[in-house]
Amino acid sequence: MSGQATILAALAAPLAGAIGILLAGRLSANLRETVTLVTAVILAVVVWSLIPELMAGGRPALSVAEVVPGIEIAFRVEPLGMLFAALASGLWIINSIYSIGYMRGNNEANQTRFYFFFAISLAAAMGVAFAANLFTLFLFYEALTLSTYPLVSHKGDEKTIRSARVYLGILLTTSIGLFLPAIVWTYMAAGTGDFTPGGILEGNLEGPLIGLLLGLFVFGVGKAAVMPVHRWLPAAMVAPTPVSALLHAVAVVKAGVFTITKLIVYIFGVDYLFAQPSGQWLLYAAAFTIVAASAVALRQTNIKRLLAYSTVSQLSYVVLAADILKPLAEVGAAIHMVAHAFGKITLFFAAGAIYTAARKTEIGQLAGIGRRMPWTMAAFTIGAFSMIGVPPTGGFVSKWYILAGAFEADNYVAIFTMIASTALNALYFLPIIYLAWFGREPEGAQEHGEAPFPAVLALTATAALTVLFFFFNGPVIALERQLIEVWE
Amino acid sequence: MPEYLPPAVILIVAALLIGPTRGHVRSAIVLLAPLATLWAIWQVPNGVVLTVPFLDYQIEPVEGSEVRRLFATIFAIMAFAGGLFSFRQARWYELAAANAYAAGAVGVSFAGDLITLFLFWELMALFSTVIVWAGGTPAARAAGIRYAVMHLVGGVILKVGIEGTVVHTGSIDIMPVLATNFDTWMMLIGILINAAAPPVSAWLADAYPESSPTGSVFLSAFTTKTAVLALILLFPGEPVLIWVGIYMVMYGIIYALLENDARRILAYSIVNQVGFMVCAVGIGTQMALNGAAAHAFAHIIYKALLFMSAGVVVYRTGKSRCTDLGGLFRTMPLTTVCGIIGALAISSFPLTSGFTTKSMISDAAASEHLVVVWYLLAAASAGVFLHAGIKFPWFVFFQKDSGLRPKDAPWNMGAAMVLFAVLCIGLGIYPQPLYELLPYPVDYVPYKAGKVLFYLQLLLFSGLAFFLLLPLMQRTRTISLDTDWIWRVALYRVAYGVGAAAREAGDLLAGAVDRIRGDIARYGRRHLGAGETGEDRGVFAQAWPIGLTALWIAVLLIAYVVVYLL
Amino acid sequence: MSRQRQRDHWLARPENIRRIWRGFWAVLALTVAAQFFIPVKGHFVVDGWPAFGAIFGFFSCLAMVVAAKALGYSLKREEDYYLEGGYLEDREQQDA
Repeated sequence: MSGQATILAALAAPLAGAIGILLAGRLSANLRETVTLVTAVILAVVVWSLIPELMAGGRPALSVAEVVPGIEIAFRVEPLGMLFAALASGLWIINSIYSIGYMRGNNEANQTRFYFFFAISLAAAMGVAFAANLFTLFLFYEALTLSTYPLVSHKGDEKTIRSARVYLGILLTTSIGLFLPAIVWTYMAAGTGDFTPGGILEGNLEGPLIGLLLGLFVFGVGKAAVMPVHRWLPAAMVAPTPVSALLHAVAVVKAGVFTITKLIVYIFGVDYLFAQPSGQWLLYAAAFTIVAASAVALRQTNIKRLLAYSTVSQLSYVVLAADILKPLAEVGAAIHMVAHAFGKITLFFAAGAIYTAARKTEIGQLAGIGRRMPWTMAAFTIGAFSMIGVPPTGGFVSKWYILAGAFEADNYVAIFTMIASTALNALYFLPIIYLAWFGREPEGAQEHGEAPFPAVLALTATAALTVLFFFFNGPVIALERQLIEVWE
Repeated sequence: MPEYLPPAVILIVAALLIGPTRGHVRSAIVLLAPLATLWAIWQVPNGVVLTVPFLDYQIEPVEGSEVRRLFATIFAIMAFAGGLFSFRQARWYELAAANAYAAGAVGVSFAGDLITLFLFWELMALFSTVIVWAGGTPAARAAGIRYAVMHLVGGVILKVGIEGTVVHTGSIDIMPVLATNFDTWMMLIGILINAAAPPVSAWLADAYPESSPTGSVFLSAFTTKTAVLALILLFPGEPVLIWVGIYMVMYGIIYALLENDARRILAYSIVNQVGFMVCAVGIGTQMALNGAAAHAFAHIIYKALLFMSAGVVVYRTGKSRCTDLGGLFRTMPLTTVCGIIGALAISSFPLTSGFTTKSMISDAAASEHLVVVWYLLAAASAGVFLHAGIKFPWFVFFQKDSGLRPKDAPWNMGAAMVLFAVLCIGLGIYPQPLYELLPYPVDYVPYKAGKVLFYLQLLLFSGLAFFLLLPLMQRTRTISLDTDWIWRVALYRVAYGVGAAAREAGDLLAGAVDRIRGDIARYGRRHLGAGETGEDRGVFAQAWPIGLTALWIAVLLIAYVVVYLL
Repeated sequence: MSRQRQRDHWLARPENIRRIWRGFWAVLALTVAAQFFIPVKGHFVVDGWPAFGAIFGFFSCLAMVVAAKALGYSLKREEDYYLEGGYLEDREQQDA
């Protein structure tokens, strides 16, 4: 299949699958689940088929329509987008397996609606990944927000709807109020919105205006959760856990940091931004988010909220890395998207498994749970280690590259932020690990076993991926190194 | 296919097998794996024998040399003796963690490059934490978490130093350097954290006494001594280490003199002894480095012996405070004798391993004409006898009749103690086998009449001082504050205050936002009509109606088009 | 198991303790006296003087015990000093 057809297929497959899910949902639950899984596999196959061409240096492109002279809907696959799409499509398969276990284990209502919007969200994510210019990216970015809203508000009760409103409100307000004007400004200044290696702003915009534009973009891309536009993330925890796993590992947050990284590399241009003093503030904003979010996480007693703040912190690692503006750091930013995805999805899967099997949501309830749910807690431990950056997990690899990049730039703010955040991460994960494995269950505790098999299978798979990524990361690193060659 | 398997792998496999196995099979693994590792260690020749690609580098997991084999040997022997001491009493996960911990130490010993060293370093940190936690008490939990955070932070500081070095020099090789720039300083600090150098030494006395009676035996050996090896390989002759070492020596003595808990006394004593080694590495001559290595070897043996005797006491009585103990010699003769032998060894009493090894360090200082250092080390030797050589056995086994009449050690604990006691005396009488393993040629003669006499005077009169000053050293039910007060108390209070202030500010802001939002919503409803508008509720819920949003999109797109066309 | 009536362990009996002390003093005297027959080579002049090891050992210990006592006045706290209020203790109560 040609590159162009592949891109189209990548967008069409999940949409088609969505329709299939709607239809199958009327017939039988098993048929519907099968459609989801098949669609996920097809999408992954389609997307991954692009990898060989990318590794060889190819950049398949597709132009769909010209909306207005100079603005078109177009797609172009490059290393960052390839990584994001491959990650999202691959993890969708595992997430679907997990969803089956979770949704059925908790006897959730409206499952057809759930799987339907899930598929649509993946289609939107593919659009974001492959967008060739700002306009296209913006369209699919908004679509992603809208298509995930029904997923966040799934439960339907008043408290959930309220939180879902916060989610929607913050994301839409930032994107329309800040992101869109930034896009408009870029088009006006540079005459184009195409993602170009080396950036398009050099010569078109300079001085403090760069800093301002950067600010509009960074806070406009609310999905990257840079403080203070991060509140939507903990608010979204009211969603069923497969949605949190999707939001926090796969589609939404990765779309956010992916966008920022892509903006820095292909709109601002790494070397150009490095030379602009007005762009320095982002480093401090990211560093602040990393530390402050971890500090807030220290105080959390609800498992998912703790993981949400942990995510806010980890996302800013990507932003920090991208803003170090040195080759190895950019590679580190990309790798961290992968490492964090594997680790965080494992953690959320574990949290959901605990809820499904034992109806527990607070950390304090986890005493001794490691003995009842060894697979789940082993996976949780691995995920936690990845967040802290302990070998042999993927988190170690990404932090290695980020630090190496920081040294290339003699960026001591980044270095010390990494040290501080290691301590903070350890401080909020270790008590949980201790409690689960060494704690004693209170008297008269309810008996329960492991979570449903599909859930355990999924979390074991992602935990394994987290560890495997420590040993087998060559191809991913090679692919992302092409990012550097782009401007060298 | 690598011809040489890293010896550490044997211990890792053993650690994995301990969980699933039971009974005699498990015991066999615990006892045989270290011996198998010892054999494997002696198959490793000098030089790099294994290279493996990792990230962008070719790392060297196995590189042999005299000093590396020496350290790996004593680590393996320690793993064996510790296993013998614990296999019938310890929980399976403590035994498994101990094997993994030992594996980390052996792995560091043979690490040919900085990355491998770091990976095994982290392995040690993880599994030693498990051993601390295996103590099972709430105190063990808290101490373990502090321990883990300290070691993870120390690890990341070391990693920062390593990465800086790698990025700036392009080499991952382990080579002697001096602390001259940010990178090397960070490496040094990271290593010194593991060596328990003040001001970051509190973790040792905080965590080791909270572990189980068997756990502390394992903990005493590996972390600090791998740090010493790392210093020997990376920073030989770095002058700042001389003074860091002296400070550690004195710190250990003073805090041990103030301490009430028997195992905490021994923990401070570790800092004291490692201080001798660190000082020797700082001196950096061949004799000094020989001394550091020999001392490390002997120290592991006699420190483990001391912890074993203390462990038996805790195991049999459930008590560890000097104020609660005393008079145990009546019913625990074997433990008492072994404890005394360990105490004599740590004091460098003639005819013990301490005498034939530690005195090398003083002699090295003398050869370099480091007058002050020599005098301080001599005073310190007296101090060691004071705080560990006599204080420990006196308060635990003699002192007063506490009324306790516990049974003596179980057979396996007794066997392990006897093994190490024999080694202490053996290496004291005949140190040649150890001298042959040292990195540099040894022309040191420990038993010169004059030197023996000098040390006998020094030590015996220190003993006199102890008994005469006994009234000044009564034990109290207290602890002594250390630098960790800063983060356990001060920093926490500051953070708490900042958090409270932030919440105040946040509440004020939320109130203001609520009011503004209320105004806008009312305006919006009045002038723009349609769209679902829920009640304004909750914090930061800037809930714009969807219809309004669509309208905005349309307005902005049209605006752009208009501007473009103009 | 030993009744009060029975004689205590030989090491604990007062008359033996006196004997041990006398023996100890004798050994101490011997080590100082022996220096007349066995020369102690000093690295730095002073340490070769008669009974230097004895004097230096005794007084260093005295100094250390006194220093420890002095420092103890500012450093010592009750055993359970750390048990109230600290992040980990609060966390444990929260989690329990």
